[in-house]
Amino acid sequence: MFRKVLIANRGEIALRILRACRELGMESVVAYSEADRESLPVQLADEAICIGPADAKRSYLSAPAVISAAIVTGCEAIHPGYGFLSEDDSFAEVVRAHDLVFIGPPSDVLERFASKEGTRRLLASHGLPTIPGSRGLLGDDADALDEAERIGYPVLIKPSAGGGGKGMRMVRSPRELETAIKICRSEAKAAFGDDSLYLEKWLEDNRHVEVQVAIDRYGQGVHLGERDCSVQRRHQKILEEAPTPALSEEARRRLCESAVRAAVAAGYENVGTLEFLVDRDGNAYFIEINCRIQVEHPVTEALTGIDMVRTQIRIAAGEPLGFSQADVQLRGHAIEFRINAEDPEHDFRPSAGVVERYLVPGGPGIRMDSHVFAGYEVPPYYDSLLGKLIVWGPDRATAIARARGALDELLIDGLVTNIPIHQALLTSEPFLEGRMTTNLLDRVGSASFLAAATRS
Amino acid sequence: MSESRPERRKTRRRASDVVAPATVADPRSDGDRAADHAAIDRLASDVLPALMAKLGATGLGEIEVREGPWKVRLRRPAPGPNYGRRASDRPSRTQPGHAGHGHAPGAFEGHRPARGATGGGGSHDHSTNGSGPVGTPVRAADTPEPGHPERRRGDPDPHRAVATAPAVGIFRPRGESKVGTRVREGDRLAAVDVLGVPQEVLAPADGVVGATLVEGGEAVEYGQELIVIERITSPVAGGGDRAREPA
Repeated sequence: MFRKVLIANRGEIALRILRACRELGMESVVAYSEADRESLPVQLADEAICIGPADAKRSYLSAPAVISAAIVTGCEAIHPGYGFLSEDDSFAEVVRAHDLVFIGPPSDVLERFASKEGTRRLLASHGLPTIPGSRGLLGDDADALDEAERIGYPVLIKPSAGGGGKGMRMVRSPRELETAIKICRSEAKAAFGDDSLYLEKWLEDNRHVEVQVAIDRYGQGVHLGERDCSVQRRHQKILEEAPTPALSEEARRRLCESAVRAAVAAGYENVGTLEFLVDRDGNAYFIEINCRIQVEHPVTEALTGIDMVRTQIRIAAGEPLGFSQADVQLRGHAIEFRINAEDPEHDFRPSAGVVERYLVPGGPGIRMDSHVFAGYEVPPYYDSLLGKLIVWGPDRATAIARARGALDELLIDGLVTNIPIHQALLTSEPFLEGRMTTNLLDRVGSASFLAAATRS
Repeated sequence: MSESRPERRKTRRRASDVVAPATVADPRSDGDRAADHAAIDRLASDVLPALMAKLGATGLGEIEVREGPWKVRLRRPAPGPNYGRRASDRPSRTQPGHAGHGHAPGAFEGHRPARGATGGGGSHDHSTNGSGPVGTPVRAADTPEPGHPERRRGDPDPHRAVATAPAVGIFRPRGESKVGTRVREGDRLAAVDVLGVPQEVLAPADGVVGATLVEGGEAVEYGQELIVIERITSPVAGGGDRAREPA
């Protein structure tokens, strides 16, 4: 294990890692930007070091600043958290070149899984079904039309480079395709400097189900069940739960087993998440792998009792996994609510300001992971996540009942939060019946969704 | 920093900004010469752009790749001058010292957003974790003006100014940072060593070095106060020195 770890992140995940380090008897140093000087992780840290200004490019995203901070404070390893530098293979490689350990997959593993398209081909070759799509990149327009015809409309045009919805269009006919492909090319060219595109079959009313795996350096791997992250707003997850209500127990087991088998065979290492789309008929298609600890990892911790951050650190230190699939027992039902500083009534615009009062819910099965405290000023520079409320119950109905109470108890004054959208979800039929799809909120619009819930 | 790294894509962090053969020119056959030229062409057209992208992606100061007898080294231009700025005082919890003010030069700006770091992800119906930055606005007051010898706004202390660390690293004083040295705004007083690349610490004002707050070789954090400059507030009789303010 490590004597001392640099935590190169902020907010609730910095706190989560700090706690894991304490538990493992390791010292930790919190690296922070000037905007986070008063933050809770900095206040609670054994040691903290300012690495740059508020602008993340010069602090949390600056490889030299982070590595220099680790070296001058005598750390042996760097935990990148999620986002920022967490899946950057170049960063991981430079960390290693400075004789430090990157807590996550080794750089060559990150590099192997860096391209979404390449990862899909790799894992398809190890038995995971993928969404039907074009054979490689599109040539001219005629080629695109042929490929779309073969796949069947509607199809999604996607750029080979980058993400974030740029250069992405869904089209339902050859005519739409011809128009859209020009727009996509110029958008992709502008955003990523690369206008190569490919096609994918568009699946409607699908669900997002992901499988958590943990694989050690010696090729021993387990899955820790799946999570259903279908409740999203514009491709951003806002609520995650496990097990997924979308699949039977048998289907879930098959999905999880095929995922870990493929990930081991493809040489994955450390904790990771394989994301799938599940269509109306229960067919799962692999879409990508997340090579990091995820925001929603507590859902899995609630079900398995296995500490994901600890597991991640141990694997990075070269320890064997130490448990087998038979040791992973999934109990009950867990739901995580992302509490964001954003205004659901005004198109979820971010709200910054000072938290005036903060009261955390309690009781059986309740966990709150948050860096908020009364008097905390939420800086405007970073994402809007204030914390995560995780609720566990022996079954889904109990978990939902506990969640209602907990959301009522949770008090964050001084800022506008998205708590009302969660409360609305807990009264919506599609959610209560476990029928939510990724377009649940966007189809009607979050505002109408909210209004409908208040009326009922 | 020259131990051999046979494979490509291994990053190094010392170098000059030239493309040059590792071997000194010597009498060669025409065939060898042609092979060398071909190698240079390939290095310049293939390896160099990849290296530049890598340098940008990592934000490192220097990078080197070796391949056979050839190597390519790339170094970022030195950052422009930059000045510390007064901010609120608050003792830091960190072992390397005092609270930070001031601003780094725009030296290390390169980054490649990690997958998942900027949202969206790229598949039509999957989401990312809502992690990482969602745009990182910079307050105007925080934006340094690299290369421009002007103090930024804020009420300057009429008697003293403090040079701060432009980055997190190891403090390396120079002769100019000795107490009593007359300095002009923008003079190089010291450097902070970031992974072997010095980042200049510049005098924030005209004056005399009053105190050095950190020993050479000590770790400093970003914005940490390093060197106090006592301003020259009134023309001193017989001064005639270059630091004197014009009336």
